[in-house]
Amino acid sequence: MIQVEHLTKRYGSRLAVEDLSFTVSDGCIYGLLGPNGAGKSTTMNILTGYLSPTAGTVRVDGHDILAEPKAAKAAIGYLPELPPLYTDMTVREYLLFAAELKGVKSRAARLEQLGQVSARAGLHGVEERLIRNLSKGYRQRVGIAAAMLGAPKVIILDEPTVGLDPAQIIEIRTLIRDLGKTHTVILSSHILSEVQSVCDRVLILSHGRLAAQGTPEELAAQLTARGGVRGTALGSAEAVLAAAQGVAGVAEVHITGEADGEVSFTAATAPGADCRAALSAALAAAGCPVTSLSAENLSLEDVFLQLTEDAQAPQPEAGAEQDAAPGPDAAPAPDDKAEVPVAPPPDDTAGPDAAPAAQDTAPAAQKEG
Amino acid sequence: MLAILKRETKSYYNGMVGYVAGAVLAAFVGLYSTVYNLLSASPDFASVLYSTAIILLFVLPALSMRSFAEERRAGTDQLLLTSPVGIPSIVLGKYLAQVAVFALALLPACVLPLLLTLFGQVSLVSAYAALLAFFLLGAACLAVGTWLSAMTENQILAYLSTFAVLLVSYMMNSIQTLFTSGSTLAFIVFAVALLVAAVLVGVLCKSLPAGSAVFAAGAAALVALFRLRPAWLLSAFNAALGALALFEPFNSFVGGMFSVQGIVYYLSVIALFLFLTGQTLEKRRWS
Repeated sequence: MIQVEHLTKRYGSRLAVEDLSFTVSDGCIYGLLGPNGAGKSTTMNILTGYLSPTAGTVRVDGHDILAEPKAAKAAIGYLPELPPLYTDMTVREYLLFAAELKGVKSRAARLEQLGQVSARAGLHGVEERLIRNLSKGYRQRVGIAAAMLGAPKVIILDEPTVGLDPAQIIEIRTLIRDLGKTHTVILSSHILSEVQSVCDRVLILSHGRLAAQGTPEELAAQLTARGGVRGTALGSAEAVLAAAQGVAGVAEVHITGEADGEVSFTAATAPGADCRAALSAALAAAGCPVTSLSAENLSLEDVFLQLTEDAQAPQPEAGAEQDAAPGPDAAPAPDDKAEVPVAPPPDDTAGPDAAPAAQDTAPAAQKEG
Repeated sequence: MLAILKRETKSYYNGMVGYVAGAVLAAFVGLYSTVYNLLSASPDFASVLYSTAIILLFVLPALSMRSFAEERRAGTDQLLLTSPVGIPSIVLGKYLAQVAVFALALLPACVLPLLLTLFGQVSLVSAYAALLAFFLLGAACLAVGTWLSAMTENQILAYLSTFAVLLVSYMMNSIQTLFTSGSTLAFIVFAVALLVAAVLVGVLCKSLPAGSAVFAAGAAALVALFRLRPAWLLSAFNAALGALALFEPFNSFVGGMFSVQGIVYYLSVIALFLFLTGQTLEKRRWS
């Protein structure tokens, strides 16, 4: 559907996008993920023909965006970061204008499309209102509705949920999932849980380069994961340390806290190894009853952080900052990294085997390092 | 193109700009017509337009200033440029909307010569020829303004720069008279223009030799011309200044002469500046 080859964009001396190549195939929701300034918007602006690449080619539905801009642009509906709305028009006027702009010839056809897209975007009841007077969430919907006009095959959304409140974010995500059933969707975001919950495939951009791509699960698996176990046990810090270090497969143990005779610790293990049973037995044998123990799997966020920060500062040690958000807290709230609730380690009442399962489904399970 | 034309025209009348432009033009045409035609009992409608021409300096930049500057500031140019519509259609749509608003503002002026026929003999041909020239003059001013609007995202800057350019071009006749003697000044001006051109070539081609070569060749020709045929240099300079006098061809219409040359001149100015507007938009995508 969209083939991007060796795309490079240079602003003066700054490289915004460097040698980017990827292919977007039909019928999936793609997530373009990256920290701010990674080149997401630039890439999208090039895909849609708003900017021209310094080098490289973009083919949309077989049409080169530079050689056949009209055919290529007709296949794309685009919602830029800032919805391009004329605030002095009503929603209806704007959508009719956008439809005409996208080459919907007859007025009857335009009205028909207007009805379709406003129903899908949930715009009923606001059609006669001035865009100036709409809330940000509705403006975003108008922008998405406009992107759907003219029956494009691909819909490109640049940070569609930025600046919205949690309820609106959920609504927009539902809308995007719905769009994914009929269109190929590419959306960009710097919010992980969003991409994880909405997208079928993820492209991670870092410093203008493609750092990784794949399904969210593939990405997590692709990384040479360093497994980890966190737990609490009764006893002294020294005893716990000594007992845990003696277990085969445990590479490193850190004591993260000690209070009321209960010691919290984390243990780094070899990739793929599950040392929980051995660890539990060893600690019990050393007279330190285990009160909780859970394995940590890498979430997409870990992959993301590792990939995008690799080139930068050295990784913080696995340790005090580790925390896992349990399932309920990881509901589709707008969880920027800073907003992830710092939750206590899960209780062991659910049994040691339940914990990793809960974490697999927790989109916001987070570990730094 | 039609969609953009319709939307733009409508948006001029959604706000105040369209009405204000119409009101101001109607007021001044009416005022001068009252003074020249009614009070002094003259059938010469063209002189009314001649006096109104200076009002264009204030009104037209207000029409053209927002065309691309505002679009860019609000980010709505992203909708236009990512739609399956070519840049020429966008430029033409936005430009024709301004022309339409200007034409509507001129409607009252179109009625006046007919009214005057009630009171005596009026040369309708010369009146409407002058009106046509006035319209083309305004259209040319709007093309200049559209281009300047495409260069910035600040409407005020677009207004001021358009006003300044039109003012200089309005005064070009008197500026021209300052340079009737002495080809040294012409030589210096051409040399400076050459230097600018050479620097531009050097920067655009990213090669110092290219720029230097252009400058060397140009300077040699200029010096030779200055030595051998200084009079040519002076007349070339005057011709160049004359070409910048946007209001001059209109004045010949006012004098009662129908000048095809003048019409071709205005159409060329419009085409040139709309082309430059398209190039400016195109260039922005690449930088």
